Amino acid sequence: MNTNSNVYTIVYTTLIVVVVAAVLAFAAMTLKPKQDANIKAETISQMLTAAGFSTKEDLAKLGNDKILEKYAEVINTAFLIDAEGNKIGELDTDLGSIELADNLKLQNSNIKSGKDVELPVYVFDKDGSDVIVIPVYGAGLWGPVWGYIAFDEHCDEIVGAYFDHEGETPGLGAKIKDEPWFREQFIGESINLNNPDNSFDIVKGGAPEGVSDDSMVDAITGATMTCKGLDAAIDTWFKAYMPFFQKKAAAAGDDCDEDCEEEGHDHHHNHDHNPEEA
Amino acid sequence: MNENLKNTLLNPIFKGNPITVLVLGICSALAVTVQLKGALVMALSVIVVTGLSSFVISLLRNSIPNRVRIIVQLVVVAMMVILVDQFLRAYAYAIDKQLSVYIGLIITNCIVMGRIEAFALGNKPFASLLDGLANGAGYGLILVIVAFFRELLGSGTLLGFRVLPESYIPNNLVILPPMALILLGCIVWVQRAIQKDLQED
Repeated sequence: MNTNSNVYTIVYTTLIVVVVAAVLAFAAMTLKPKQDANIKAETISQMLTAAGFSTKEDLAKLGNDKILEKYAEVINTAFLIDAEGNKIGELDTDLGSIELADNLKLQNSNIKSGKDVELPVYVFDKDGSDVIVIPVYGAGLWGPVWGYIAFDEHCDEIVGAYFDHEGETPGLGAKIKDEPWFREQFIGESINLNNPDNSFDIVKGGAPEGVSDDSMVDAITGATMTCKGLDAAIDTWFKAYMPFFQKKAAAAGDDCDEDCEEEGHDHHHNHDHNPEEA
Repeated sequence: MNENLKNTLLNPIFKGNPITVLVLGICSALAVTVQLKGALVMALSVIVVTGLSSFVISLLRNSIPNRVRIIVQLVVVAMMVILVDQFLRAYAYAIDKQLSVYIGLIITNCIVMGRIEAFALGNKPFASLLDGLANGAGYGLILVIVAFFRELLGSGTLLGFRVLPESYIPNNLVILPPMALILLGCIVWVQRAIQKDLQED
């Protein structure tokens, strides 16, 4: 048989590709449940790390089941809000039926195109007070970057953060995840409610002199594009959560500065929809 | 076992080691040797990929059209690598995340294609399987030796367990990539001192 004829070559390569595709599809389908369980446990341990319950390393040693148990133990409530900060749905938090908002990518494009959004809010109970965790998601240099940012109960101070990425360069962009100092900088920072379009900054060298550094952290040298992407992701998502933050600030009452007075008309109307009370 | 097969199996481990003698697959050897655990998983993955790819290509060797030879090889190697990656993602998620892109990059590891071109295309499937496994093992052996020293001196631990006393201050230089290259150089030095026929004038 002439293995170098055109027809043979085309038929042969087609066959090889079809067989390989079938094998890979089969493997992907069989392993999917197990992989999904891993991703779920990973997501939960990132949130728990951001909220300050444990460290990523300690959680990894526990194994998937224990991580789910830990989550069910400390979670208070989890729900979805719309662009006005109103609660539009619950997320299941019982062990055995733990549900996570895993469509951050879709929500990210909805936020950008102004479509209806379903933004997740996770409220943990830490030593009797609420810790509120929200996700951020955006584009890094090579792929998506995302993270979880934890706030105190009035959303006026960041109490922790954890970031992850799909394929940033090891040793450079990957430091957003690998370097604890980067995420620890976020602790104690706050959101600039006066400037919804750019409520948080990651800048080289940290806050310049004369500028308040409440909403500014130092970027990573050699990871300019990753940090810019993460900064844009944080700005975009914080903007989407802004009505929610403002309601929280208004509910806190005395914590409210004059800028949230503008939201005053929302204030009493708030009481029907305030996610905290619902 | 006849003399030929034994030679096929043992040669790549030391005398014809893919990293130190053929100088293939250096890139990933530098990247994944900070911790012993990662190096062990990487070594196992490469052994599986080289072994199975050589085996499959050797089975197909008489039917592959010569003009698309390399493409067919790449498809088979890529399939093996994706299978390994999917498998790790299901059963060793943390390590898969740690090794990140390097599992995917096994596709470009010269050892895999090198052994297919040099051996599997001209030999029977069983011999090719052995050759692939042995070359993967030769690669893995160097990886494990380098990772052993890097984790021991760089973190004071082995496989995550503390070996050196707390008073040992980890040497951060060992964690950095250049140290992998220096260690690799030392291994080549030792090997050439033992194996005089590798020395060049």
